[in-house]
Amino acid sequence: MVEVEKIREEARRLLQEGQVRGVIGYVRGPQGVWAVPAMIRNPEDVDRLVWNPTCVHNLVLFVVEEKKEQARQKEPDKRPLAVVVKGCDSRAINVLLQEKFIEREEVILLGVSCENSGVVDKKKLLNLVPSQKIEEIVYGNNGHIVAVIDGERRVFPPEEVLADRCLECQANFPVVYDHFFGEKIKKEAINTSPGVDKIEKMRLEERRRFWEEELSRCLRCYACRSVCPMCYCTECVVDPISFAVEPTTTAEEKAKKIKWIEKSPLLSENFVYHLVRAIHLAGRCVDCGECERVCPEDIPIRLLNKKLEREAWRLFNYVAGMDSQAPSLFSTFKETDPEDFIR
Amino acid sequence: MRKKIGVFVCHCGINIAGTVDVKKVAQELSEFPGVSYTVDYVYMCSDPGQNLIIQKIKEEKLDGVVVACCSPNLHETTFRRAAQSAGLNPYECEIANIREQCSWVHKDKDKATEKAIKITKGIVEKLRWNEPLQPIKVPVTKRALIIGGGIAGIQTALDLANSDIEVVLVEKNPSIGGHMIQLSETFPTLDCSQCILTPKMVEVSKHPKIKLYTYSEVQEVTGYVGNFQAKILKKPRYVDPDKCTLCDECTQVCPVVVPNEFDLGLTGRKAIYIPFPQAIPATYTLDIEACPGVLPIACGKCWDVCEPKAIDFDMKPEIVEEKVGAIVVATGYDLYDKKNMAEYGYGKYPDVLDGLQFERLLSASGPTRGKILRPSDHKEPKEIVFIQCVGSRDPELHNKYCSKICCMYTAKHAKLYKHHVHDGQAYVFYIDIRAGGKGYEEFVNRTMEEEGVLYLRGKVSKVFEENGKLVVWGVDTLAGQDIEIRADMVVLAMAIRPSSGAEKLAKILKAAQDTDGFFAEAHPKLRPVESLTAGVFLAGVAQAPKDIPDTVAQAGGAAIKVVSILSQPELLHSPLVAQVNEHLCTGCSMCVDVCPFSALSIVEGKAKVNEVLCEGCGTCAATCLRSAIEVKNLTHLQVHDMLTASLGGLK
Amino acid sequence: MNSEHEPKIVAFLCKWCSSAGSDMAGVSRLEYPSNVIPITVMCSGSVSPLYILSAFNLGADGVLVSGCHPGDCHYIKGNMYARRRMALLKELLPYIGLEPERFQMSWVSAAEGLKFTQIIKEFVKQLKPLGPQTQLRRSL
Repeated sequence: MVEVEKIREEARRLLQEGQVRGVIGYVRGPQGVWAVPAMIRNPEDVDRLVWNPTCVHNLVLFVVEEKKEQARQKEPDKRPLAVVVKGCDSRAINVLLQEKFIEREEVILLGVSCENSGVVDKKKLLNLVPSQKIEEIVYGNNGHIVAVIDGERRVFPPEEVLADRCLECQANFPVVYDHFFGEKIKKEAINTSPGVDKIEKMRLEERRRFWEEELSRCLRCYACRSVCPMCYCTECVVDPISFAVEPTTTAEEKAKKIKWIEKSPLLSENFVYHLVRAIHLAGRCVDCGECERVCPEDIPIRLLNKKLEREAWRLFNYVAGMDSQAPSLFSTFKETDPEDFIR
Repeated sequence: MRKKIGVFVCHCGINIAGTVDVKKVAQELSEFPGVSYTVDYVYMCSDPGQNLIIQKIKEEKLDGVVVACCSPNLHETTFRRAAQSAGLNPYECEIANIREQCSWVHKDKDKATEKAIKITKGIVEKLRWNEPLQPIKVPVTKRALIIGGGIAGIQTALDLANSDIEVVLVEKNPSIGGHMIQLSETFPTLDCSQCILTPKMVEVSKHPKIKLYTYSEVQEVTGYVGNFQAKILKKPRYVDPDKCTLCDECTQVCPVVVPNEFDLGLTGRKAIYIPFPQAIPATYTLDIEACPGVLPIACGKCWDVCEPKAIDFDMKPEIVEEKVGAIVVATGYDLYDKKNMAEYGYGKYPDVLDGLQFERLLSASGPTRGKILRPSDHKEPKEIVFIQCVGSRDPELHNKYCSKICCMYTAKHAKLYKHHVHDGQAYVFYIDIRAGGKGYEEFVNRTMEEEGVLYLRGKVSKVFEENGKLVVWGVDTLAGQDIEIRADMVVLAMAIRPSSGAEKLAKILKAAQDTDGFFAEAHPKLRPVESLTAGVFLAGVAQAPKDIPDTVAQAGGAAIKVVSILSQPELLHSPLVAQVNEHLCTGCSMCVDVCPFSALSIVEGKAKVNEVLCEGCGTCAATCLRSAIEVKNLTHLQVHDMLTASLGGLK
Repeated sequence: MNSEHEPKIVAFLCKWCSSAGSDMAGVSRLEYPSNVIPITVMCSGSVSPLYILSAFNLGADGVLVSGCHPGDCHYIKGNMYARRRMALLKELLPYIGLEPERFQMSWVSAAEGLKFTQIIKEFVKQLKPLGPQTQLRRSL
């Protein structure tokens, strides 16, 4: 079991000794039981840190945000950040290292084990229990999740309440860390993605209908992109919203911005947007599931990334974020890469 | 301001006009945005056609020209030159291929015309965003560095020096000469190897244009084609060649004997030694690994007897820097390691020799003064077995490639053996006989027929010693029977491997190696002496196994490639290179990883293009997730707009 | 489905092999359907997946990417990177319901004029019964 007090101790020590400029972790949120991310800068605040099955967020996003913020500052605090990472999150760190977005010295990784379980899918749990009554959500035995409701413990089997990605996860402890809390229990997922299986088994027509239905709801709010630690680009190629048009911007400069897709959420444009995003995340997506969690339209975005995750493994034996020293999926090749699709 | 573009549609007689309605193409294009002038003409590439383009550029004040005609491979240069003579930048002229990719492959005139219009519109869209570009000029240092002083390096050095180009020749051993100087006679003419090589070695040492560094190694190379800086480590010889009189007193008194590399261990040498009598430079080298003491001077006998005081125990390694414009890799080969061939008793039985050892036995200056005697008991071997393809053509256990020279030198060995031992019997185990070369097939045939050498097609499974004989177990696959030969000597045609330092050197030069470790040529057919790194060339076995004539030919080829660079006052490089948008670049270095030419690096967190090295392939552009790197005049925007036009356009 | 549909195909051809190969088809006067608009790029390795998606978005019924055979790339290994990228795209497109025939890749050398024409003929034949590609096509 992860003893949260040990995480706090380490966080306190790092802050007291001035080794880090902050600790990014989870604290109990304003909605009670559901944890939220927090940046702890004072040693006195470390007792707010929690670790439980509601710690769903990929805190690596905040490492990215901090890094961008640092670039804007004149005299930034160059001390590292401590950050609590789960297995998937730690692989996101590896991808950022691989892509030289951050240096290893910039982070102190407080790795946590997912207790041979995972994090809770809020929607699933709320379907079973009204939220206002839940006082506490903790890990039970054998991957079970325990919710304390009106002082009473209710035990849920993992398949009922865990996030899909956790049920499918095969690396439920960090691959890179400086301190590790809990036990490394290698979990064997029964199926790495039943959702992908389901789509693969559909006929072409059905697949198209499925995705048309799903993607027609996309509002192009870009929550998926905003929450993704891998979407750290200065401008997104498909939608250069951050392209600053200033009075001095010439018509030519404006004309030179390629409009790969229309801004309006037409189905065709939604398709292209999500396909480009999926391709750009191939070999980089660590399946932290954040995109899907934040989607206001409940579009199963993960299923696109999962498909490419599966193919990257099947075709190239590549798993994102396992090795920060290896070249990226698309910046390397093997002589023996499959080419039976090529005429 | 929008460019004023002129479109010139060529009939190419009836080649285009026969299938494509050229008038309609011109008409449609005249209505296309940005096109301010269109015309069709019977032969655009003719003088009047070119003059029409020149005239209209001037009259119509055109900013760009699209010529819809044949493939750009044929007349792009023609029309760019014409545009240039009218005062346009040549990169403001583009070709729409409506002949090879349209009129010649379609019959339906309407459809072909429609396609020609789309193709031409696409090219107009591309041209709209073309930048005027100037060739990239690079100054050139008129000197060449040659790494390796075997026949390949020697020949390249001489060819270059005789073309009035200064050469820096670096050899890691104490003398130049390479493996060729170890050979006895050379196939298929049986010239004496030393006789034909030593004059070249002397010429190298005397040539005013050649600066020779022996006992030296290239440690670091920076820069790029035309402008390399090389750091060369000169290992201390502890002997001053200027003072040394070659009196040989030192070796007489030296108490240390170690295996002599030149004779591949068949003889010994002293710790202070001259590799062989004709060594260049002609001087001694103190092998500090073998010498019992410099610090403190435990022995010092050589120093005592050296009258001119040429020995200096305080000599230090020295690093010299040389600026060169081009580099030739001529690092040659090593034989496949003994330890890989335990089943043949190589390294275990003294009378199991490799091909180079046998060369030394055959050499008049060798350990036996040219007599073929067994190292073990100095008796003449009456039965001798030669085994070919030892470690070659064996993808499972050893090297997958053919070492190429073994068939021929084995035939030579067998022949020379018979010349020495008339009553002896020679056997050759072979897989195939590969005798592709002028006079080679005839040479092998003569060996078989005139010398009575018995060729057995098959492999040898084992060689072991029994009662003073080497028992060779093999199989004759033609006769389909097992064979046992009780031989006095076994000679193994060992595979040849890239020189032991090749891998390190490849890293230093950023030159690619192939899967076998040989230096990779830029193109297997069309650029066989160029490496993938601009300004780095290949000669000899460093690139792939080859014999002396091929090596000499390749050395000459490498030399002329060097000349073609160094003879120019400055290098002109295509300006169609990658450029970085630093605002978008995050420094992820994926482009650096994929660049086949090492033209990219990350400097202060942003990708940086070395325009001299960049070949403009655009692999970086497709790899970059952020569109932060693109090739000039074929940007994402240009492709996007070409697509739009080609697909009929969207409102 | 409209069997008379004339598919619009965009072919990204590398300059050194496939574009030269299509030139060879021309020189040899080998006839093939005019449905394909060639876009010559320096190397198949320079073809971004964005180009392909954009081509579909701009109304292409089919997209071909063609490069040098393995080992023959003018830029040594650009085609190897292309092969990896395109392999994933090839899996992704049918996964969302796009007919697999619509996106193809080929190796065509400068000498393979005949192969080029065969690929185009086959491509057009496969696309005709599918009708227009509307899934990714922008319709305003």
